[in-house]
Amino acid sequence: MSPLTILLLVEAAAIGLILLGASPKKVSLVAAGTNFLLSLWIYAQFPAGVGGYHFVENHSWIALGGLPEIRYHVGVDGISLPLVLLTTLVTLAAIWVAPAKIKRASEFYSYLLLLSLGALGAFVSLDLFFFYAFHEFALIPTFLLIGIWGAENRQFVSLQLTLYLGLGSLVLLAGIIALLGVVPAEERTFDIPRLTDYLRENPLATSQQMLPFLLLAIGFGTLVSLFPFHSWAPFGYASAPASAAMLHAGVLKKFGLYGLLRVAMPLLPGGAEAWKPWILALLLGNILFIGLTTIAQKELPAMLGFSSVMHMGYLFLGLACWNALGVSGVVLLMVAHGLSAALLFAVAGEVRERAGEIRFAELGGLARRMPFVAVAFLVGSFASVGVPGLANFPGELLIFFGSWKSQPLLTAVVVWGIVISAVYQLRAVRAVFYGDLPQHLAETGDVEGVARIPYVLLMAALLILGIWPGTLLGVVGSGVKGFLSLN
Amino acid sequence: MHEGLWIIAAPEVILAAGGVLLLLVESVVKLQSRAVGVLVLGVHLIAGLCLLPFARTGAVLWDGIYTWDRFAVSGKAFFLLVGMLVTYLSLEGEQKIPTARAEFYILPLFCTAGMALLCSVRDFVLLFVALELVTVTLFVLVAYRRTDASSLEAGAKYLIVGGLATAFLVMGIAYLFGATGSTQFDGVARSAESEGVGPVLLLGLAFLLVGLGFKAAAVPFHIWAPDVYQGAPTPITAYLSVGSKAAGFVVLLRVLLLPFWNSAFQSHWVPLIGLLGALSVLLGNLAALPQRNLKRLLGYSSISHAGFLLLGLASHSFLGFASMLYYLLAYLVATFTAFLVLVLLEQEKAGETISDLSGLAQRSPLLAWSMALAMVSLAGIPPLMGFFGKLLVFFAAWQSGLHLLVMIGVAAAAAGIYYYIAVVRAMFWSEPVQHGPIALHPATRTLLVALNVGSILFGFYAKPILALAAGAVAGIGG
Repeated sequence: MSPLTILLLVEAAAIGLILLGASPKKVSLVAAGTNFLLSLWIYAQFPAGVGGYHFVENHSWIALGGLPEIRYHVGVDGISLPLVLLTTLVTLAAIWVAPAKIKRASEFYSYLLLLSLGALGAFVSLDLFFFYAFHEFALIPTFLLIGIWGAENRQFVSLQLTLYLGLGSLVLLAGIIALLGVVPAEERTFDIPRLTDYLRENPLATSQQMLPFLLLAIGFGTLVSLFPFHSWAPFGYASAPASAAMLHAGVLKKFGLYGLLRVAMPLLPGGAEAWKPWILALLLGNILFIGLTTIAQKELPAMLGFSSVMHMGYLFLGLACWNALGVSGVVLLMVAHGLSAALLFAVAGEVRERAGEIRFAELGGLARRMPFVAVAFLVGSFASVGVPGLANFPGELLIFFGSWKSQPLLTAVVVWGIVISAVYQLRAVRAVFYGDLPQHLAETGDVEGVARIPYVLLMAALLILGIWPGTLLGVVGSGVKGFLSLN
Repeated sequence: MHEGLWIIAAPEVILAAGGVLLLLVESVVKLQSRAVGVLVLGVHLIAGLCLLPFARTGAVLWDGIYTWDRFAVSGKAFFLLVGMLVTYLSLEGEQKIPTARAEFYILPLFCTAGMALLCSVRDFVLLFVALELVTVTLFVLVAYRRTDASSLEAGAKYLIVGGLATAFLVMGIAYLFGATGSTQFDGVARSAESEGVGPVLLLGLAFLLVGLGFKAAAVPFHIWAPDVYQGAPTPITAYLSVGSKAAGFVVLLRVLLLPFWNSAFQSHWVPLIGLLGALSVLLGNLAALPQRNLKRLLGYSSISHAGFLLLGLASHSFLGFASMLYYLLAYLVATFTAFLVLVLLEQEKAGETISDLSGLAQRSPLLAWSMALAMVSLAGIPPLMGFFGKLLVFFAAWQSGLHLLVMIGVAAAAAGIYYYIAVVRAMFWSEPVQHGPIALHPATRTLLVALNVGSILFGFYAKPILALAAGAVAGIGG
């Protein structure tokens, strides 16, 4: 049995134990910790020099006349392995920072594990059916997490989010069906590697690629909040409980990008080329329009929600330009953004919890009361802005290098996005942690003891990848070369 | 195909004879209605056992008007399951039907007998008889709460619209007979083959589709559905929603595959069925959005599912038909779960609106989760059966070139998520109106768990069900 299957089974088993009445937080923590260690082991064992998929498990699942065979096919290459590692780390952190005494605790932790299970399953699946099903299956826990434990306006927000993501997923499903529809009947398969190989040897006519790519781009784009399909994200994240926001913004949302990277772009290069101007125009909306909207936010969680939408613009840029440099940057930035978003949402959760306040105008001076949280927020903010030494910087740099070759003008414009993000991020730092400490916050306490570990883990990961991106880039490069045949 | 022994028709005979016998006994000896309910379950079980010895034989009866193939066996098993579940629902919901007497349990036996017979028909006259056995019994059952105005209204509506549909059906059969000189499926097919497809034949086919469209509650023959669903006693609503609809599709499948499989016919019925499907998914899902009454909501939702099933039918491919059968089973599991929860809640004197479900998760997690899984399955979210059904149907339709139809289906399914999720929301987010846990009988508990497990298991691992469905479709021709 592949260790990847074990990752999935561990989480499923933990959910089972919680349903049987075991202590929810302890069981989830043990499961998440086990998975994190296991994924580190997988990473250590991964032969970076060799391309292709490893830790593969592949057997038939459903075969029916007229339907392409569905296989249970899991495996990781240099592109998906970093995401698996990201998932297990953020899951561990999200479960660790969640309060043990939350209402309906066993439900809460089960849903968090389900969310993580959906993301993990999607990242390790090499079969389009499982790839799709695992992700969409996480929709219901997301809905419930925001709906039951969310903050202000949770009823509306979670419904909006679910409808958006549901519609996005269905368009994506139509896209997958359309993609298989243009492949000759005898070559139709849900198997991603086989489909990739076939389409590389026998490219489709561009006219055939137009509709499937459009559907896939709208589907994946909605899931990853591409402008103008983004409006579910900011307030959804603002309202979600911190752990859910960490898992969704940090991990699950990357599914859309991963799907573009794994399915839409390599299988339908002609369609991608034809629709590229549109994607480039829309990502400008993400970076500039949403960037400016972010500056205007008056509450911490909403600001973080918008900023996570904005950062997707860079990732789209790297994907749209489609060269080895940019795509490596995309994988690195996906991981980096996942880590920094998780860290920032966790801090926002602490601030909401401990200070009982999220409006910038009412906050201030908290660095004196909660120095550790302030450091964590500062590290997250610097990472998010793209300060050298933290993981986001090399990712963004690679993307800009990659896009400069083909889109110098656009690159020159979007680089200004960094200034925008510096403005809102540093204003948030000042508004929350510096300045005068209002009277009602005088008793706010800091995060103490072992509760600091998840923050330390996330910060350490950001630092390691920032100072030494080569560790990950070696692995990523093998995937980019092997899977995408990009040089 | 060889002429078989009449004993292979045992399931229908046992059901009908059991019904007659129980009615007679009940008129002489005063039996407790619950005891009759249990006896009826037993009759279903015996009829089901009669399927087993002949499951692998293929034969025809009575000059070929009655056929016994894998499709018929699977169909009979399906309807026996429906009949048993309805009986169980009636047993659970008895207190809510004050005048419930023995015949409330006995009459569905005739209905099930009719449906079982429908699975085997190869002749239009037998088809008519079987279908009327179903419909006439349902007339009585829909209006069963005769002190209740809404039930009576439902009965009257069902009677009038049903009568109209029957008229179309008879007329269609008459045209077909007039054009081909035969009422047997084979005869019609042969005549169409040799003499070509004329306007009279097409008119016959169109009228037939009207009659069957009524059974399936497909737009534009759906008008009766919401009112009747809301007014009928809940177990009967479940019967209409699954049994009657499935009966419509089972007959449609056999009729379209046998006498009308000719490509000259296909070029007419494929677009027509596709159109009905598109209208049904759109109207069903959009009209369900503002509904607050759960039974009414399920009524509109059932119209939309008729649309998805029609999508599979319109694919006119092996995959499309097999997906349709899989979808039917997915629909059965989810719908019965939902109605079982509704029946149990009726015992708690709760109303039928969505807000009456408020806080159910705190009062009874099992009921809330069952309902939630049913809704999520109907909405088509993995890993439940409903998702895989939708995937199959969309895939089949796309492969047959019905791209626009798939797009419409996708849009409608997205709209559907809204109202299904609204039900989940009420159960999990809102505070309870009433308090105190809900006591469940161990058998009910087991049944709910079994339905939930089935929905997840066969959605995730659909292979066995698909093999059954594929075998059934493959069996039709032979």
